[in-house]
Amino acid sequence: MAALALVTNSDAAPRTPATDAEVLEKLPTRAADSTARELAALRAAVAKAPTDAALAAELAQRYFDLALAQGDPRYVGYAEAVVIRFANPLPVPLLTLRGVLRQYRHDFAGALKDFEAALVLAPDYAAAHAWRGAIFLVEADYRAAQKECTALQQLGRETLAGACLGLLQAYSGQLAAGYTTLQQTLRLTLDADNRLWLLTRLGEVAAWRGQDAQAQALYREALSLGRDDVYLLAAWTDFLLDAGQSAEVVRLLARWESADSLLLRLAEAETQLKLPEAARHQKMLVDRFAAARARGDTTHRAEEARFELRLRQDAPTALRLAQANYAVQREPRDARVLLEAAIAAKDPASAQVVRDWLRRSGFEDARTRSLAQASESSGNTGSKK
Amino acid sequence: MMWRRLFLSWLVLVAGPVLAHKASDSYLVLEAKGTQVSGQWDIALRDVDFAIGLDADGNGEINWGELRARHAEVSAWALSALTLERGGVCPLQVTSHQVDEHTDGTYAVLNLTGTCPSGEAELGVNYRLLFDQDALHRGLLRVDVDGVTHSAILAPEAAQQRFSAEKPSLLTQFGHFFVQGVWHIWIGFDHILFLLSLLLPVVLVRELGRWRGVGRFGEALREVLWVVTSFTLAHSITLSLAALGLISLPSRLVESAIALSVVLAALNNLKPVVNQRRWLIAFVFGLIHGFGFASVLAELGLPADSLVLSLVGFNIGVEAGQLAIVAVFLPVAFWLRNTGFYRRGVFVGGSLLTLLIALVWLSERAFDLKLMGA
Repeated sequence: MAALALVTNSDAAPRTPATDAEVLEKLPTRAADSTARELAALRAAVAKAPTDAALAAELAQRYFDLALAQGDPRYVGYAEAVVIRFANPLPVPLLTLRGVLRQYRHDFAGALKDFEAALVLAPDYAAAHAWRGAIFLVEADYRAAQKECTALQQLGRETLAGACLGLLQAYSGQLAAGYTTLQQTLRLTLDADNRLWLLTRLGEVAAWRGQDAQAQALYREALSLGRDDVYLLAAWTDFLLDAGQSAEVVRLLARWESADSLLLRLAEAETQLKLPEAARHQKMLVDRFAAARARGDTTHRAEEARFELRLRQDAPTALRLAQANYAVQREPRDARVLLEAAIAAKDPASAQVVRDWLRRSGFEDARTRSLAQASESSGNTGSKK
Repeated sequence: MMWRRLFLSWLVLVAGPVLAHKASDSYLVLEAKGTQVSGQWDIALRDVDFAIGLDADGNGEINWGELRARHAEVSAWALSALTLERGGVCPLQVTSHQVDEHTDGTYAVLNLTGTCPSGEAELGVNYRLLFDQDALHRGLLRVDVDGVTHSAILAPEAAQQRFSAEKPSLLTQFGHFFVQGVWHIWIGFDHILFLLSLLLPVVLVRELGRWRGVGRFGEALREVLWVVTSFTLAHSITLSLAALGLISLPSRLVESAIALSVVLAALNNLKPVVNQRRWLIAFVFGLIHGFGFASVLAELGLPADSLVLSLVGFNIGVEAGQLAIVAVFLPVAFWLRNTGFYRRGVFVGGSLLTLLIALVWLSERAFDLKLMGA
């Protein structure tokens, strides 16, 4: 149905521009930009030597980096097109890259297979271990993640190992130890990107520990690095929303409409403050989720669940999305949206998976724990209708 | 070097893909009428630029002049990536170029037309646009083949698809709605309880304030026929009126009234008020239950071209589902009618239990509470 509506594109009609000078589209790069020139040179080189795997890996990696920096999935598609031109068996860097591209589409099983194959060929390939660890953490398979953290440690990749272990500890019932590990890892690195990542995660851990002042200080230190970073802004504005500082969220995110996850937080803050912009931003989110659904993209379900729950007050839809998301991703934020949706939908049974995870993992965040308790008593579990 | 990238990438993995823009889609709408095909194809200007380069002056912007100058190449590039077949290849041409806005920017609009060798066969679509350059590109297709509409996602692994003009046969459609009707009376617990509440006393007769078993099976059967027929007649009326869009009631009101009907039917067993004309209760409340069925039917979606047939199929399905329940219930009830088990356990106990359940429903639905877990 959504696909149909989109294809028909009912609220617009094709038109013929009045003048040649009318600007129709702004491109992400100009031909003279260094990035565009570099890409053009690489593309030309790959075209000239289509069987050169190292060159292809470089181009694909360059595309993928661009996708991350600009948050633009088109570059992921470009990268994948470069990689899949090569026949199996792929060399280790391309194999790992294919895994990375697969995890981006939440094809975790396919990604793990690629990393596995890469590690058979090159057991010391740290990137494959790190990615595997990251996927296991998302899937809440902490025993498997532990092995990857250890492997990184043994390979002497201290920073990666510290990041891996710190997160693992935080997710599995040792917030204090996780905090210490991440803090020690922070001391190991001067690289701004790494520091930003570690400070963001430290901020989250501090917030889970209920140390709000510390969390604020960490987030502010990360922001002071002066880099645009969508994940940092999402974590920081989530913290502010929880603290009831919606006005600050509106101020921070005003120019971030283009990023779906931040647009969601912006719309939440505007709704709480009853600002006139809220309706327009909600409509934009509806359109974007519909566009993703139309192409069969299911990577947005966690955010869509939150949107349905908090902005549209459609608890049953939110619950359905949160459950579907939790079947794939099981991090604390995925757990939280499922608990909140289950409470709103008065459907305690559907949050049982999260309560089981909490029991098993021992994850200590007080908010998650009290939500879990509330979800259990949100309805009478007696007879079935 | 590698792990710097890894850190960045980790961030994104943990955050999930951040879609500041969305991945690339084109929107293709096709209509095949006999040998004639026409269509509209919207392709993002960014994608056109990536494939063939549009930004002539290199200022990072595409204006109408730059696009207009390249219309011939845009047509050639796009048409080389799309093949339509109906009894052979249908040569396509672009009749005009326009532009349109979608959620993620401006799109080139290509208006297409073509003639196929056959006007009868299936329509084959072979789509290859951008796949070799952007593996995440998708073509979102809506195609109308002689009045039958399909939609599909064209992807590298599903680049070639066929669409037929054949509608599902009327019998298939009738069958589909018949089965749905049977199914929905069986899973519609409130409808069943209402019906059973009315049927519990049919094997009994009230005399001088006391119940006794009916003498002959025929007596019970006649009563059942009256009740079931009037229930069916009533819900058919409202179901049809609602399904045809002539009347619509708020669902909370309908659901609450259905719960109330079960409460009253059970109460009437415990403290008889209406004794003689039970079919009247069945009729009055059947009107309400019809609205309940209509909401189910609305979810199923009635095909516009076989509306009446589907409606009749659904109604007969509901009827058949009811008769199946009656066929199981009546002989057993008749057989047990003079036992204490039936009089106290099934009749009184069952009515009490029904009353209790229906009261919970009523309070849930009327006050939007949730007392029973889902």
